[in-house]
Amino acid sequence: MLFHTWTFAVFFLVAYPVHLALRHTRFRSHWLLLVSYVFYGAWNPLYLLLIVYSTWLDYACVNRMAKSPRKKFWLGVSIVNNLGLLGFYKYAGFVTDNLNALLAGLGSSFHLPAPDVLLPVGISFYTFQSMSYTIDFYRGHIEREPSFIRFAAFVSLFPQLVAGPIERASNLLPQLQRNTPITRQAIAEGMSLFVVGLFKKVAIADYLAVYVDKVYSDPGQHHSPALILATFAFGWQIFCDFSGYTDMARGIGRMMGFRFMLNFNNPYLATGLGDFWARWHISLSTWFRDYVYIPLGGNRKGTWGTYQNMFITMVISGFWHGAAWTFLVWGLLHALGRVGTRELERTAVYRERVPKLVKQLMVFTFVTFTWIFFRAEDMPQAWTIISRIFTSGWADPQFPLLALGLVLALWAYQYMIESRAKVVFDNPAVRVAGIVAMVAYVAVFSAASDQAFIYFQF
Amino acid sequence: MNREHEPFPSNALKMSAPLWCVAGLFLLVLYFAVPRLWKGIEQFEPGPDYRIPYSLSEDYWLYHRYAGLASQRDAIPIVGDSVIWGQYVVGDETLSHFLNAELGSARCVNMGVNGTHPAALAGLVKHYAQPLKDRRVVVHLNPLWMSSKRHDLQDERARRFNHPRLVPQFYPPIPSYEATFAERIGTVIDRESSLLSWTAHLRVAYYRNKNIPNWTLEHPYTNPLQPITLELPKDGDTPPSEPIPWMKRDMGIQDFAWVPLEDSLQWGFFRESIGVLRNRGNQVFVILGPFNEHMLSPASLETYKRLREGMESWLRAEGLDYVAPQVLPTELYADASHPLREGYALLARNLLDDPTFQEFVTAPQAALSGSP
Repeated sequence: MLFHTWTFAVFFLVAYPVHLALRHTRFRSHWLLLVSYVFYGAWNPLYLLLIVYSTWLDYACVNRMAKSPRKKFWLGVSIVNNLGLLGFYKYAGFVTDNLNALLAGLGSSFHLPAPDVLLPVGISFYTFQSMSYTIDFYRGHIEREPSFIRFAAFVSLFPQLVAGPIERASNLLPQLQRNTPITRQAIAEGMSLFVVGLFKKVAIADYLAVYVDKVYSDPGQHHSPALILATFAFGWQIFCDFSGYTDMARGIGRMMGFRFMLNFNNPYLATGLGDFWARWHISLSTWFRDYVYIPLGGNRKGTWGTYQNMFITMVISGFWHGAAWTFLVWGLLHALGRVGTRELERTAVYRERVPKLVKQLMVFTFVTFTWIFFRAEDMPQAWTIISRIFTSGWADPQFPLLALGLVLALWAYQYMIESRAKVVFDNPAVRVAGIVAMVAYVAVFSAASDQAFIYFQF
Repeated sequence: MNREHEPFPSNALKMSAPLWCVAGLFLLVLYFAVPRLWKGIEQFEPGPDYRIPYSLSEDYWLYHRYAGLASQRDAIPIVGDSVIWGQYVVGDETLSHFLNAELGSARCVNMGVNGTHPAALAGLVKHYAQPLKDRRVVVHLNPLWMSSKRHDLQDERARRFNHPRLVPQFYPPIPSYEATFAERIGTVIDRESSLLSWTAHLRVAYYRNKNIPNWTLEHPYTNPLQPITLELPKDGDTPPSEPIPWMKRDMGIQDFAWVPLEDSLQWGFFRESIGVLRNRGNQVFVILGPFNEHMLSPASLETYKRLREGMESWLRAEGLDYVAPQVLPTELYADASHPLREGYALLARNLLDDPTFQEFVTAPQAALSGSP
């Protein structure tokens, strides 16, 4: 069930009024859990078994931790279970394929059977969210949640269940515990976020996807300009797709009385790779910072220790996105880029002499280049694209000017809201015009879209 | 609250409730006004032999507009599938043309749409022919749609068929129809929304049934608004299908596996169309056939005749005026149900020989006001 489909509209038209009616009663969490499971089960009811199991186990582990002196053991059970599930469903195929290739390379006729499992939608998101509860409880940052229903609603809360933001127990559980008032302002803000997200997804991401898919489906038939523009377009497609989803998720959450964390903050205006990761998929970056980077020692182990920790964290982050060498290389490139530019970013020359726009373009170019690995089907295709970018020469890329105009308008909008020009948007007429234009554009120009969100596959 | 939980650092289009009211007002005006205003902007003056062009068969907004214009005239709309529309003929060779020629006035309006099997026709009548209320309407029934389970949409295997957006999306279930829940809901909402129907009109009429983003992929450097010339596509000078008799078409004698009336979905939808029209105050006249009986095997012909008798029984029982025109000479058929040019001319004469039909199409529409 995708946010930008009529199916979701019907679902929400039922779920929301009942939520409003029950929000002051003890059945609030029960209803939230029910509708969240309906939302999730719409993909495949069998997925529910997994999320119920995962939820129950983490809840039980914390209960045990609360009563037992062997806290570390129960934390270990939770982490091994979550990562085990993730590993099995997400990485078993990758591991088996590579082991088989290795065995074949060594001349062995032994062949491991390929696991025939379907990756449950959103498993990477809810396992991380659930783990944040057990880890934060272990660290003493949060209290034990007495209600299983409420905890289950926290793990499965439908607006952010399948693609984040990955909420922390310390942020979301208290919101489920107390009865946050749903004001007219909250509803209005939620609707604004939803419309902006819808526009990004339907009008931009799905539009760019048509061009990107055409070029990336057969890169050998396209020349340098088309490959460059398709990669450029993919950078904006994935941004609009993912940030559009989270805008919609946060908008729906806001209308329901929840405040989900910011997940994207104009990442293509970043002036360094560190800055980029502070703006891109913030809920995941901070998750890795708090639960991987800092436990590894963070920046407390000297320069080389810091680099090592940054490197490990970035590579894991890359691998989190998908079980393929392309994602690993993508993470590796970001790790190298991050390590390689950290010192540069600290120098006075870079900080003070290099114009901001140049820094932004450098970061954007690097990030866009790495998207090749993210989008390519496999490593040979990624190499084909890179080599053809440099060798295939000129041919008319046939990139629609309308698409380019939309991207440039979005880029300009982001520049404006990070500059003094932001005052333009203080004018209510501008805001009304913007919202009306976006709704009208989606209604008139965009096809009914049921294209799934890119990050669902993770 | 820390920065990570601020709702709007990366989005300046923050709206308050009063601003939403203003935006809502603008959107409501757009929603209702644009399709209406468009009728004043886009030229659409159908002549006496006009028919919805083949390329606009799925432009239901235009059909609604056409029905509105037809209702403003003292004319008799003839609704039906490609037999009425004229698959093997051009616009001035259709049944309505020859009826008008015989009558000496432009009384009959060709409101056939290519490919509207009874299930689609029921949707077309229900959702897009409201302007015809209280009018005298001729409805054509083509028995071909009951000639097999596939035609009757009862094939268990999902199949592509014409006008899926006109058929019922939820009930009654159509075994051959496969669509996701989202697509079905989307179709229902499109039908009810004049703005969405109008956007579909733009797409069909000016962008060759492509959405605008996809169209820009084929025309990357063209202004995306350029195709909106405000001139609706017209039919070509040649029929969509070659006008030759069925015998020269390598068709041979057919042994259709007719679906019994009591089991037929299409027959049920035809009856539904009649019900919708009558509930709207329409006086309905049914033309049953003319089916090409020459191409049926003896066994198939026998079954067909029983089927047709069942249809006629129902029409009589319902008190409906109808005519089952005599079979045309074999060489005047292009296939199982479509006449060729001369076939339509003969059919028109045969129909007008029927006094009930003649009276139906010649009496002024005004005489119907207030009739059930």
